[in-house]
Amino acid sequence: MENFFNLILEPLDQLFMRFKMFVPNFLAMLVILLLGYVLAYLIKRFLVKFLTAIKFDSWSDRMGFTKLMRHGNLWGKPSMLLGNIVFWVLLFLTLMSGLSALQIAVIDALVSQFFSYIPRIFSAAIIMIVGFVFSRFISRAVLIAAANSGFHYAKLLADAVSTLLLVLIVAMVMEQLQIAPVIVLAAFSIIFGGIVSALVIAFGVGGIHAARRIIEKDVLDKDKEETKDEIEHI
Amino acid sequence: MKTATFRAEVQAQLEGIGQADIVVGIPSYNNAHTIGHVVRAVQAGLGKYFPERKAVIVNSDGGSSDGTMDIVHASAIADFNAILLHHRIEPVAKIALPYSGIPGKGSAFRTIFEIAGILDAKACAVVDSDLRSITPEWIELLVKPVLAGGFDYVAPLYHRHKFDGTITNSIVYPLTRALYGKRVRQPIGGDFGFSGALAQYYLTKDVWDSDVARFGIDIWMTTTAIASSFKVTQSFLGAKIHDAKDPGTDLGNMLYQVVSATFALMENYADIWQPVHGSEPVPAFGFEYSVGLEPVNVNTARMLHTFREGIRNLSGIWREILGAGDLDEVVRVGALPDNDFYFPPGLWTRVIYDYALAFHHKTMPAEHLIKSMMPLYVGKTASFILAAKDMGQQQAEAEIEILCMEFENNKDYLTRNWK
Repeated sequence: MENFFNLILEPLDQLFMRFKMFVPNFLAMLVILLLGYVLAYLIKRFLVKFLTAIKFDSWSDRMGFTKLMRHGNLWGKPSMLLGNIVFWVLLFLTLMSGLSALQIAVIDALVSQFFSYIPRIFSAAIIMIVGFVFSRFISRAVLIAAANSGFHYAKLLADAVSTLLLVLIVAMVMEQLQIAPVIVLAAFSIIFGGIVSALVIAFGVGGIHAARRIIEKDVLDKDKEETKDEIEHI
Repeated sequence: MKTATFRAEVQAQLEGIGQADIVVGIPSYNNAHTIGHVVRAVQAGLGKYFPERKAVIVNSDGGSSDGTMDIVHASAIADFNAILLHHRIEPVAKIALPYSGIPGKGSAFRTIFEIAGILDAKACAVVDSDLRSITPEWIELLVKPVLAGGFDYVAPLYHRHKFDGTITNSIVYPLTRALYGKRVRQPIGGDFGFSGALAQYYLTKDVWDSDVARFGIDIWMTTTAIASSFKVTQSFLGAKIHDAKDPGTDLGNMLYQVVSATFALMENYADIWQPVHGSEPVPAFGFEYSVGLEPVNVNTARMLHTFREGIRNLSGIWREILGAGDLDEVVRVGALPDNDFYFPPGLWTRVIYDYALAFHHKTMPAEHLIKSMMPLYVGKTASFILAAKDMGQQQAEAEIEILCMEFENNKDYLTRNWK
């Protein structure tokens, strides 16, 4: 009879023991989550104030980030968006830390995987930001140079340059994040190669007469300019 | 100090000279076929008008490969009697040296200022090395107001074709005049006279590693002299004819260099220009006379095409800088037929002030910002050419005066928005 009771009590005892071990971990997780939330909130508040002070919103307007946000149906201030991103990233990190406090093997493995992925996310974000600023800079330089030389399709050319650069950047980001790298590489090669091939065909075959006319007109215009425009601007 | 004046051979030359009353500087870069004439004109000017003064000609060269410095050494007036001159009591010393530092006219001038300081010069002048119209009288007109008139800075006054100097006429002159209140007609003329004291003052400024060393030295010298309350005057030099510019020189780059230098100075002297209202004339020396100028061909159709392509392609950028109201006005101007094309002075004034404000607020990289102004400038220039094609020189000058008054009357807009 005693054995029978032992058979019943032993699992309960083990369950209780496990519960006893789990409760402090669970409480630790709750404390981590609470502290993490408060800390993330305070950091967000401080960051938004700091960004406002250094006129981050105006800089974002100039760099085109605000415009990009509006395209993505985000209507808040860029400083607030960045504050929210940092807040949620911190909250997510807090959640991961909290879960690891539970000391459950499966969750530990998941958390470990997540933390080893962070450097990739970070470098992808850097590539994205720098690439976006760079592509905007280059496309604006192309636009101004082409427009100043009187090129009719300057905007189209600048948009094409911008699109090509963005395709390249997105491919780099995806490759960095290791999201279906083979498919990304293949898709990028197809898209980029396709665009270049289309241009080669358009100008080399389909547009050969148009290209000749443009070049001839350009040469004629230059001749005209040399003989006619004698103004000294300074 | 790493400048050219501290090289041993230059030091030795300067020690040999000791002291000089007048230093005339000639910055150069591959000007072998014109600099000889400039050196001889300067020698004749010094001989004719300052025979008792000890003078030095300094050629500050940017590393010419065509023998410019050799020409300077070899250039001398063979027969002074032929130009009704007796030999000077003392021959004019010549120093030709390559300057050190960032390549550019500003670095060349810095070397000239330093030599003027070492020689304790009382008056200095700088003249371009590509001048074809320089005469000995230029030296008198640039130096005498300093030596005899007590002035510190002498800006040039030229007779130019009514279509020439459009960046000066439509941007630099009206803007400088409205900002600092002095009517210096050729603030970026290139040929200036100045006192030894002003040369030393220029050297105290920490600008020699900036764009001033590369380009923009002319407007920097004029603005610094005015803003620092030095006594400024002008001298009428006659026609300015110089060697044809390199056809590869891009208008966009030219515009960027001049306008960015002018806008950058607005940052430095904001406290000085903000309270200024109106403008006052600057005294002028020299006997003004009419000059026959060669006709200038311009292709206004091409200019209007550039302006309209600018509207088509750059309106997104212009909207950021000018705002919707003025952009609409620009679009309306662009829609006018060629024969009725007219860019109103009021609109142009707001365009320049809006660009100055965008430069101040760093709306976009300076080079993009100013180069995006090019089609607007070309449109404004075309408008002026169309309006002035049947005008005489004086009428054309009256048109520029109207523009200047617009700049002065609308200055409040600039001051109000400058935060």
